[in-house]
Amino acid sequence: MQVTQTQSEGLKRGFTVTVPASELETQRAAKLAELGRTMSLPGFRPGKVPVSLVKQRFGRAVQGELLDKVLNETTQRVLEEHKLRPAMQPKLGLVSGAEGEGDLEFTLEMEVLPEIAQPDLSDLSLTRLKAPVNADTVDKALADIAKRQRTFETIEEDRPAAKGDVVAVDFVGKINGEAFEGGTANDVNVEIGGEGFIPGFAEQLEGMKPGEEKTITVTFPEDYGAAELAGKEATFDIKAHALKKPIDPALDDDLAKKIGFEGLEQIRELITKQVSSEYDQLSRLRIKRELLDALAEKTDFEAPESMVDAEFAQIWQRVEQDRANGETDEEDAGKDDETLRADYRKIAARRVKLGLLLAEIGRANNIGVTKEEMVQAIRQEASRYPGQEQMVFEFFGKNPQAAESLRGPILENKVVDYIIELAKVTDKEVTPEELAEIPPADL
Amino acid sequence: MTARNVLAERNRATRMSRDALFDVIRAPHITEKSTAASERNQVVFKVALDATKPQIKVAVETLFGVKVLGVNTLVQKGKTKRFKGRPGQRSDIKKAFVQLAEGQSIDLTAKLP
Repeated sequence: MQVTQTQSEGLKRGFTVTVPASELETQRAAKLAELGRTMSLPGFRPGKVPVSLVKQRFGRAVQGELLDKVLNETTQRVLEEHKLRPAMQPKLGLVSGAEGEGDLEFTLEMEVLPEIAQPDLSDLSLTRLKAPVNADTVDKALADIAKRQRTFETIEEDRPAAKGDVVAVDFVGKINGEAFEGGTANDVNVEIGGEGFIPGFAEQLEGMKPGEEKTITVTFPEDYGAAELAGKEATFDIKAHALKKPIDPALDDDLAKKIGFEGLEQIRELITKQVSSEYDQLSRLRIKRELLDALAEKTDFEAPESMVDAEFAQIWQRVEQDRANGETDEEDAGKDDETLRADYRKIAARRVKLGLLLAEIGRANNIGVTKEEMVQAIRQEASRYPGQEQMVFEFFGKNPQAAESLRGPILENKVVDYIIELAKVTDKEVTPEELAEIPPADL
Repeated sequence: MTARNVLAERNRATRMSRDALFDVIRAPHITEKSTAASERNQVVFKVALDATKPQIKVAVETLFGVKVLGVNTLVQKGKTKRFKGRPGQRSDIKKAFVQLAEGQSIDLTAKLP
């Protein structure tokens, strides 16, 4: 094997590799002989097929296989000998000898991973935002629960419906005189002034008496859930049955028992726990963001172009897709393609750099993903598809690449944890609103 | 067959049409034995049951463009086989061992001219 380096520029490396014909020939002969030993052909006893015949019949297939193997092996050897760590799969280009004639010559092009200097992690100073759980928040959540549990009481007195009342109605919705699907219902409780209906619907019921009939006209909003109805004008024939008064249940242990808890305190605790875990997640998101920003500032190496290209292609594909669906990001709406491309390229470069850096830090500090963590991640993934857990397990069992895609985020989180531990972290108390607002991304 | 008839037979064989030649030679016969025979510069063909040695010689010489020194033939009788309990007969095959002149060879994988 003969290797000549043709390019060494920045992160790019190029080689021309020549494998002599004799070396190929011995490998091919070995392979053919091996085939002949196992092959059975009519007219020959097993294992007695002459090599010349095997070559005649399977020479081509063997050549392809051999080429594959030789290319792989020599590439591996070149990488080892030159101590290269390629960023992406090296690009191979056959020059001659693909059909098994003469020497095999091919070019090898790749980008290597840059030398990544370990940034001084203890130098980082981060702020961990913390928000206390407000009593108000809990109370509000409790009130919501109570509202869902409220009962209705029929109003006996004969008076027109006023705001705050609930009217039980039958209605038939029509567009251009024809009833449309989903526009008809019987005995529905509509709260006057309440939410959940088409704007204008509940309001126009005000003043109706039980037994009264009325036809109202409303316009579906432009962003209505059902596309065929959005923006259309519809009439509803309405018949009121009864007036009712909503009664909010008192917030006490009885209510708690009714919805399956032991007492009010338990619900309170549960809500507090839930809210604080939400805050924790947000806070982690924020500190991670800050950490990545800080790291991006500290790092100073060139990202391999091919990786940036790949990342950019992925991002761009999603942007195009969003655009095809008419969901352009507000910020991007005013920009032309040129600026957008440049912007997203920057994002791609940043992502690649940070990904490499995190991987490098993980490698240098022996942070890996253990088997148990993988199993746990898969279990978590499976729990997202209730009823099909078995299938999810099987899927990951059969597709190691899919499992590999779970490994990435786990490793990232572990590395982030590791860095946070090393860095100087100051706690800062903020309000929940401040916690929730995510600062704009700076590139 | 008298000597006269043999001569007449050879004479007739040389006047066969090209289509008829293709009917004489059916297929190459590739087995361990035929591979061994090729070391002695012999080629083995499956031929028509009614093909004669002179016909085979002319056919091989014209179709493959080689010089044939001699032809040996044999008829392998088909076996009696049972299929779903009923006796059946496999076809007989005639094989021809064709001795090529020294230095000549036939590439059986190549297309016929």
